[in-house]
Amino acid sequence: MSAESDMEYSDNDGDDYDYYGEQDDCDMEAVDRTKSDPEYFLYTCLRVEEVEKLLNESIELLSNSLQITPSLAKVTLHAYEWNAQEIINKYKENANEVLVYSRVKSRSPVLQASTSRSSCAVCANTPPMHKYSALACGHYFCNDCWAMHFEVQIMQGVSNTITCMAQDCELRAPEDFVLSHVTKPMLRERYQQFMFKDHVKSHPELRFCPGPNCQDCPKCQICIEKNGGCNHMQCGACRHDFCWVCLGDWKSHGSEYYECSRYKEDPNMSSDSQHAQAREALKKYLHYYERWENHARSLKLEEQTLASLKSRINQKVMAGEGTWIDWQYLWDSAKLLKRCRYTLQYTYPYAYYMENGPRKELFEYQQAQLEAEIENLSWKVERAETTDRGDLENQMDIAEKRRTTLLKDFLEFHTTTASSSKV
Amino acid sequence: MAATRRLQKELNDIRQSGLKSFRDIQVDESNILTWQGLIVPDNPPYNKGAFRIEINFPAEYPFKPPKISFKTKIYHPNIDEKGQVCLPIISAENWKPATKTDQVIQALVALVNDPEPEHPLRAELAEEFLKDRKKFTKNAEEFTKKHSEKRPTD
Repeated sequence: MSAESDMEYSDNDGDDYDYYGEQDDCDMEAVDRTKSDPEYFLYTCLRVEEVEKLLNESIELLSNSLQITPSLAKVTLHAYEWNAQEIINKYKENANEVLVYSRVKSRSPVLQASTSRSSCAVCANTPPMHKYSALACGHYFCNDCWAMHFEVQIMQGVSNTITCMAQDCELRAPEDFVLSHVTKPMLRERYQQFMFKDHVKSHPELRFCPGPNCQDCPKCQICIEKNGGCNHMQCGACRHDFCWVCLGDWKSHGSEYYECSRYKEDPNMSSDSQHAQAREALKKYLHYYERWENHARSLKLEEQTLASLKSRINQKVMAGEGTWIDWQYLWDSAKLLKRCRYTLQYTYPYAYYMENGPRKELFEYQQAQLEAEIENLSWKVERAETTDRGDLENQMDIAEKRRTTLLKDFLEFHTTTASSSKV
Repeated sequence: MAATRRLQKELNDIRQSGLKSFRDIQVDESNILTWQGLIVPDNPPYNKGAFRIEINFPAEYPFKPPKISFKTKIYHPNIDEKGQVCLPIISAENWKPATKTDQVIQALVALVNDPEPEHPLRAELAEEFLKDRKKFTKNAEEFTKKHSEKRPTD
């Protein structure tokens, strides 16, 4: 797909036929198929760089022909679903209307005295006049608050639609405004990533590829992909927090008791038929197997974390941001995480073979505790650069203690029973 | 911490303004992130009592919204048995750092006075509210008399 074809489609009034894309070089057979199967349409797989090129072409075209900043071009393209030609035509007719529709300008004229620059309404501090800034709406807030606002929004996955901090003000902060306040490289990168995703989603001719390891978010049903070892998932679209293992709400996992690692036997099982018992046995096996397999997969992802962490540390060292020794704790934390996951993975087959009783209850309790701490550790390792070092090291210590406690209690017990049975 | 200065200012402002519908504000000096107070509604059937609420501010306040819960049981389509309330002004998507707590409280009082059965937390009460207003009012009044706190006299 090219920017030119983009413009061609815009001429036929955006009717649904756009959806099928590239009809100009379709052969007869393909046209037939689009007619016989309404869900069929031609598509091309694009790599990220190709998509970026395609989007940049529209941005450049618009910023050149209207003499506006690329940042502003992005906001308008996002608002008008990447129909550059429509924006150009409308802009020439009534530039103000385009800016209002794109939510970068207020409809009503800005009241000069609407907000003071003597104290910031958000933090109640009184920084000097020159440390305030505002969007086109004229709602002035201090730069520290803008930076904090953007940081919180970016961490929640918002990018294109970050709005002004004033109550009832719908104005959006364009990219250049956001980036002039956000200095942390990690946040800037994250912001750009979300911008890219948002752009793809708002583009009528682009869709993210529903790849193999994709699963639906249990709340909003959007496709999600597990991109790290941590089982605490957060949907990028609706920000629902949930558990990867049981797909339940993460809230119920936050407390000290980690329920989803424990298999609950059906209390009425004994009275049921043999058939039901067999099914119950299979269910029990699958419960433990799924968890074992899931942690095996997490372990694999943890290896990727380890590799990327190593290259990031190398980059920092090369850039003169401390020595390897300064960053070694990150490396240690990722290695510890791997070790913990390995232990946890094999607690499941162990639990499967254990006889019911207080001993197993204790084991599963400790297992749950370990699992909860590992998830905490994983969450922190993935955000290692923004987590406080002391916090991370504390979490490492907790996780390792849980791991050794569990191993000490049960590995020894196991070997003693094994040796006594030999006698 | 940004939260402390802002909350201290808001607390002073609210106490000075003397809101009629939000009284008896209690804040532990060691923890300004938790407030308690009495909601005093004007409209029947809730004007027979007062309702204690708790406002919890996150450490990231005002960049993240506060949470509100009812400590007094209330018969209301938008407030559930656990005291949770669905208030759009403090939802993560709508939250604005410049929104003041007194605006949040006013929105809450307005919701208590005039239930919004279109997006209920308790569907059965919303249905009763829409289909049999008399019965709803009677139930809510009895419930208020039984469970709510005394209204401040002054």
